[in-house]
Amino acid sequence: MPPALMNPLMPPPPPPSVSVSAPPELEGSDDVSGRSVTQKRRFGDLRGLQWRVDLGVLPSESSTSIDDLRRVTADCRRRYANLRRRLLVEPHIPKDGSNSPDLTMDNPLSQNPDSTWSRFFRNAELERMVDQDLSRLYPEHGNYFQTPGCQGILRRILLLWCLRHPECGYRQGMHELLAPLLYVLQVDVERLSEVRKLYEDIFTDKFDGLLYQENDLSYSFDFRKSQDLLEDEIGSHGNAKVKSLDELDPALQTIVLLSDAYGAEGELGIVLSEKFMEHDAYCMFDALMSGVRGSVAMADFFSSFPVAGSQTGLPPVIEASTALYHLLCLVDSSLYSHLLDLGVEPQYFSLRWLRVLFGREFSLDNLLIIWDEIFASDNSKVEKSVDDNIDWGLRILHSPRGAFIAAMAVAMLLHLRSSLLATENPTTCLQRLLNFPENINIKKLLEKAKSLQARALSVDISSPSPLIIGYHLQSKSVMTRSQTLPSETVSPKTPVNLLTDSYWEEKWRVAHEAEELKQDGIEQQIPTRKKGWTEKVKNTLRRAGSDPPPSRIKNGKKESKVVRRNILEALHKALGPEEEAEQMDCHEILCKQENISEAAEGVQQNDNSKGDNSYSSDDRCPSGNTGIEESSSVYSDSTSPPNEANYHEITSQGSSVASNLYLDECDETADTSLSDPPLPVSDHPESIPETSESTDVDVDKSENIPQMSGCNNNDPGNSATHPKEKKQNKFQWFWKFGRNTVEGISGKVGAASEPTKSTSSCSNQSNSQPPVSSTTSEHFTSVSSKGDSVDQNVMGTLKNIGQSMLDHIQVIESVFQQDRNQGVSVENLSKNILVGKGQVTAMAALKELRKISNILSEM
Amino acid sequence: MVLVLALGDLHIPHRAPDLPAKFKSMLVPGKIQHIICTGNLSIKEVHDYLKTLCPDLHITRGEYDEDTRYPETKTLTIGQFKLGLCHGHQVIPWGDLDSLAMLQRQLDVDILVTGHTHQFTAYKHEGGVVINPGSATGAYSSITYDVNPSFVLMDIDGLRVVVYVYELIDGEVKVDKIDFKKTASIHTAH
Repeated sequence: MPPALMNPLMPPPPPPSVSVSAPPELEGSDDVSGRSVTQKRRFGDLRGLQWRVDLGVLPSESSTSIDDLRRVTADCRRRYANLRRRLLVEPHIPKDGSNSPDLTMDNPLSQNPDSTWSRFFRNAELERMVDQDLSRLYPEHGNYFQTPGCQGILRRILLLWCLRHPECGYRQGMHELLAPLLYVLQVDVERLSEVRKLYEDIFTDKFDGLLYQENDLSYSFDFRKSQDLLEDEIGSHGNAKVKSLDELDPALQTIVLLSDAYGAEGELGIVLSEKFMEHDAYCMFDALMSGVRGSVAMADFFSSFPVAGSQTGLPPVIEASTALYHLLCLVDSSLYSHLLDLGVEPQYFSLRWLRVLFGREFSLDNLLIIWDEIFASDNSKVEKSVDDNIDWGLRILHSPRGAFIAAMAVAMLLHLRSSLLATENPTTCLQRLLNFPENINIKKLLEKAKSLQARALSVDISSPSPLIIGYHLQSKSVMTRSQTLPSETVSPKTPVNLLTDSYWEEKWRVAHEAEELKQDGIEQQIPTRKKGWTEKVKNTLRRAGSDPPPSRIKNGKKESKVVRRNILEALHKALGPEEEAEQMDCHEILCKQENISEAAEGVQQNDNSKGDNSYSSDDRCPSGNTGIEESSSVYSDSTSPPNEANYHEITSQGSSVASNLYLDECDETADTSLSDPPLPVSDHPESIPETSESTDVDVDKSENIPQMSGCNNNDPGNSATHPKEKKQNKFQWFWKFGRNTVEGISGKVGAASEPTKSTSSCSNQSNSQPPVSSTTSEHFTSVSSKGDSVDQNVMGTLKNIGQSMLDHIQVIESVFQQDRNQGVSVENLSKNILVGKGQVTAMAALKELRKISNILSEM
Repeated sequence: MVLVLALGDLHIPHRAPDLPAKFKSMLVPGKIQHIICTGNLSIKEVHDYLKTLCPDLHITRGEYDEDTRYPETKTLTIGQFKLGLCHGHQVIPWGDLDSLAMLQRQLDVDILVTGHTHQFTAYKHEGGVVINPGSATGAYSSITYDVNPSFVLMDIDGLRVVVYVYELIDGEVKVDKIDFKKTASIHTAH
């Protein structure tokens, strides 16, 4: 029957659109797949809406009713409207109706930055800047983006966002993040009007009383439709037997619902509304920039300062670039190393890729597909049970979305793989990277990215950073390394560098192992630690042994470096004797270990702050603490009563050996040491560290070398005195510590001429009378004079030690600070991760040192 | 929204060495879109200085101006307002409202800006405004020695103009504001 008879109020049926079949997504055949899609992505074909959900503007729970959506939408829009009222200044219109009382402040020429006019001028300035970019936005889509209306919307949104986030301000590229957001909203609205045209009746408000009560669905559109109405519509379309609105495609239903103006919010609540596109776009943009509650906040990518809590201390975008290379290294190491060889830093191209989320590399259509995927990935942080030690703070890899972004970039790199590998110089390489091919299979790329995303997420958790370390160590050129690692600035070409590379790696690995084994039990820790120590000390040996004299000369010249170097050497040295103890004879080991245990007791007695035994504290800070604690334990050991005599001997011996330079007292010891046949150094690996290191330490070379050679001579002859000798060495080491500080600060006395002196003293032992600085000699005489009253002496020494340790710690800390400051240069930003981490451990170690030294000085 | 700076009778260097420092610090480039100057600068250096504040500079000739190319009167349209500019020594009696109103009608302008008396005045007259910005340097005039430095800034927005008057009194800048609305009917009636 003709519809007009049924309902005279009804508007004429839709234009004869029988031939115009419904759009493909509205047909029944797509229903099933459509449902399956909407299960995952509720508003699959309404991209703008889906993005709003994904970005966290609208609630993402699938149970959210349309009414909830409407309410949230209205809230967002209200917020934006308020913001707009508040921030967009119209100076010539008095705000509250009254004339501005203080004209002196509020006039156009006012110098007061808080005045309305100043704000107005600032806004105008910002607007000019924004306009400069907006006028060049997507020229290929100029018929939409270049229209005054669209430009106005974009300008207002950017302006408001920048005013709202003054710390960030406007940066070029933000407009390209915003434009697609507005575009998808526009597309949604266009789709709505298209559907509205097709199904005009459903959208027409009907209050004719012919209410049709739904059985299963009682949404607000109950009001509007009646069965006959729908039948009319079906009749006019003819093809599909749709009995009610519910049998329409769900996507279409959603559209109908979303354009509904009913409810508490009225027009403001229409989810798809052309009027409020600006509001919606702002909400989306804000959510994208701030990251809502996730870890990827686009605004960070525009800031040049590290975010709060960043462990790398790098600007986020650089950090993300590093993460990108990290991932690439895992996936394709050959391409990675090729890029490294060419010196192509990730930020050269990724800055552009990341800041606009690939907006410059792909056409708008493709970009929307990519963003679909990016936004579909969850932005929330993945909870990780990783220790601070291991967590390298590559924040971008902490959320699926960030991982996807990184994975996408790597997929793009892999897409260019062959052409990149073919490049021979960085320029062409970057040319290819920055001119991404237009015609690409976007689906393939996305699939690749997805698989990489999974990889990135899993990799980040399981094996965080050795790779990065490796990367940094490998990738470092000699120059940058010398910048980042202060101890190696001396002679980049000597084997020292190679060895210390492995040394740092080793140390790091040891720290790792210790960390893992910590839970397993102490008994397992000890072997690990020992092993680490062995290797460390081997490094020390090799390093010290292979350190050629020229480097020493350089060393002497570079006075500023010497202090750091000395400290390092001293630490190494402290580790050396421990190693020796393991390698020594049986009874010696026993004796030594006895000493250690006693020492541990002594340490525990003396310093109550350590809950664990000394081993575990060793494990906590493997870098230098061990050395100090070990030697400090020797000291506390020497304070214990049974060893008192021993200590006497040590003191006297130490002073005598030192004073064999001026040969006044304890002649017999010095005589024996001198009269013993000198053995080649290589015969006694134990003694090498002392000798060679002492040659390295140029400050007190003059008195140490004779003493060490005395050591050598004593070794074969009387093994009984050997441990004492070692202790004496440590004693020496401590004094050296103190003196180093003094002299290091006051400037080396004749540092340049030192090597020649030492060599002469080495070769010419019998008449070893090198000039000694008066301070040192005084030092030693004071020691020997103190030697009579043991207790006093011990206390005094301990205090001295504590003091000198404190001084040294300060020196090291200041050095670290310097390095940190140096490291800000742009080139090294990504590389500094390594140093940053190394510094963290070192600083931890220093803290421990500080504790100990405090205790010592208090005694 | 357009900001128009109106000033005149600087008489640099004959009667005043320079603009007051407080004025100079307030007048910064970037804010002002137009400058209208009634004349008596009197040297080219002042002209150049004004150009640095804003390139769009309109000057009429005062009796002491070196540059003889300045016109006697000038009209320009800013927004919906027509502005007339004249130094004012030609209009006698000097500063007389009726005479000035005559000139205003002659030029057919909404806002007439004149100088020469070195006294700030602003009249609303016959649906238009007659403004004398005074002397920006506080130079003495042939009428009086007691002159406060002053200038005028007009904020023209649509049919509304807000006149900010800046006057230096005892070393302090005093700002006053005069609102003026042009009704469209008056304009069409003319």
